[in-house]
Amino acid sequence: MLIENMKMAFSAIRANKMRSFLTMLGIIIGIGSVISIVSIGDTMRSMFEGLYREIGVTQAFLYIGYWVDDVRQSDYFTLDEMERIKEVFGDEIAYIDSNSYVSADAICGRTTVKFSFNGIDYNYQEVQPVDMVYGRYLNEGDVLGRRKNVVMDTISAMNLFGVENAVGKSFRTTLYGTTEEYTVVGIYQKKLNPFQAMMMGANTEGGEAFIPYTILTWPNDYFYALRFFARDEATMDELYNRIKGYVAKSKDRKPEDFRFNSAKDEMGQMDSMMGGLAMAVGGIAAISLLVGGIGIMNIMLVSVTERTREIGIRKSLGARTRDIMIQFLTESAILSACGGIVGILLGGGLVMAGGALLGVQAIVKPGVVILAVGFSAMVGIFFGMYPASKAAKKDPIEALRYE
Amino acid sequence: MKLLNRKKPEPKLPDYITENVSEELIRLEDLVKIYDTGALKVLGLKRINLTIHRGEFVAIMGQSGSGKSTLMNILGCLDRPSMGHYYLDGVDVAAMNPDELSLIRNRKIGFVFQSFNLISRTSALKNVELPMTYARKGKRFREQRARILLERVGLGKRAEHMPNELSGGQRQRVAIARALANEPPLLLADEPTGNLDTAASVEIMELFSQLHKEGTTVVVVTHEEEIAAFTERIIRFRDGEIVSDSSNVRKEPESCGTGSETEKQEATNATETEEQGWESAGEPREYEADRNMKEREKLC
Repeated sequence: MLIENMKMAFSAIRANKMRSFLTMLGIIIGIGSVISIVSIGDTMRSMFEGLYREIGVTQAFLYIGYWVDDVRQSDYFTLDEMERIKEVFGDEIAYIDSNSYVSADAICGRTTVKFSFNGIDYNYQEVQPVDMVYGRYLNEGDVLGRRKNVVMDTISAMNLFGVENAVGKSFRTTLYGTTEEYTVVGIYQKKLNPFQAMMMGANTEGGEAFIPYTILTWPNDYFYALRFFARDEATMDELYNRIKGYVAKSKDRKPEDFRFNSAKDEMGQMDSMMGGLAMAVGGIAAISLLVGGIGIMNIMLVSVTERTREIGIRKSLGARTRDIMIQFLTESAILSACGGIVGILLGGGLVMAGGALLGVQAIVKPGVVILAVGFSAMVGIFFGMYPASKAAKKDPIEALRYE
Repeated sequence: MKLLNRKKPEPKLPDYITENVSEELIRLEDLVKIYDTGALKVLGLKRINLTIHRGEFVAIMGQSGSGKSTLMNILGCLDRPSMGHYYLDGVDVAAMNPDELSLIRNRKIGFVFQSFNLISRTSALKNVELPMTYARKGKRFREQRARILLERVGLGKRAEHMPNELSGGQRQRVAIARALANEPPLLLADEPTGNLDTAASVEIMELFSQLHKEGTTVVVVTHEEEIAAFTERIIRFRDGEIVSDSSNVRKEPESCGTGSETEKQEATNATETEEQGWESAGEPREYEADRNMKEREKLC
């Protein structure tokens, strides 16, 4: 009976191809936009997740809260303090540094390039691995001896020296008012997908280099934030809470006065922001589905009137109220579900094509697809209810007399 | 697909379908039909008492507005009487609800209409299968039986044809095959030859005679004497009442080929009488009632 009904529905839809297509259009657009938005959201989310993996999910920064009014000098950090924390928490911390960045012009011959120098400890590579292509990474000796050695990526080397393999070459730069000669000891290859390049800002003109943090931060300096990498992702929140407690106590502050800003938190914020965005656009898509549903109801009402005589014939042959009802409900559900399927193909295809164009792997989740087809069928059933019941309630004599 | 096609047990039918093989197939007791158009009540049928036995071949005659179509609708369980009883196969169907009546129509009655009423864009075979579909018969059973029935009405080779690819006579034969699908005890034909030429009319009536000989009870509603001549009993209606009920000796088919002249004459007569006879009730339509009311207002 169900199959019979489906066959009947398809033949009725085929009989009015253009009309059926136009009716479906509302659902196609609605479902298509839902699918594309959800898929774009999923794709973005996975890309951000990749981005944060790159940055390191266990990465976090500790600093005095911006809401604290009476900030004292002691609320900032010193290298001694950093060493103490390293000792107390030991192996639980994979990496710690003074989060020092400096921007300065690097000069080599007649070339001047704006460089940003990132002060790191020698074991930074353990938490942020890079592909060394020439030379070596910064070592313990560089850091402890404050040697003026740097490691940069191939693009920066090209910008400054005009060659990729710039190991042994040197340049001049002014850090904190002192102009000195720095030597390149290693070159690494940056690997970024187009999305990451977009998010992090493609560095086509400037340069980046790793430099021993001991050059940027001196023992008597106070610095604003500590940068941590926890050893274990699972227990990092707990660890960071303990560190916060320890630091607050040593500075005679409440733990709430300090802020731990972790990549994981930021990821969560990004997630919820995108969730909100998806909700908003999803709401608009839902309205278009509503409009599509009303279109279906409208066309089904026309169809019921047109086929009044057929309904009369069916009733005279023994069709019960329910049989007629189900026949028309099946038709509207199929009409709507067909629209849903076309919408999915369109929306999914669009996202895939866009992804291929941008060079990222677009994600269209099967669960979303199933949900969309199911939902469009539901729309069809819901909006088909009234026309179907109108059809089912027709008086057989009146219906048979209808011309 | 296999899962969906698995054989389902046929639903249990109520007693009034499965039991009762009554010798009196139709018995009407003091049957009254009143049309309530709001402004006034029109008497469609006035206390009809009638019995039709199993195996009879009956013509119900009368001009338009005589109440024969009203009776036809009630006999066909498409409509319910206002008062009185209608026993179909020993069961009073007068007070049944629409879904129960659907079941009765499905199992006990085969309809043949003037305008064939085949479902368009649906093959002859599928049309014949339809009553069996509503009786929840299996797919294979339906198709086999539909083919047998089409063979029986001489359309075995046209099973896959669409209604618009068939001639009027062929369409009506498909309709007859469809009417027979669930082996109903009663075959109800409402002006079955009204849209057919003489040759096709004779063919169709011959088919009814044949079915009657095989034991089916056939009731034909007509206003044409030539058609009624095929039957064995003629009941005449006028103004919602039976005016005569007589047995009829079946004429030879040749005598019917008198030509379409008479038919046309009859047809025009019928329309004329309809114009004049609206006041005497019968098949009231909305506009008739309205007109009636306006006239009354004028008189006042």
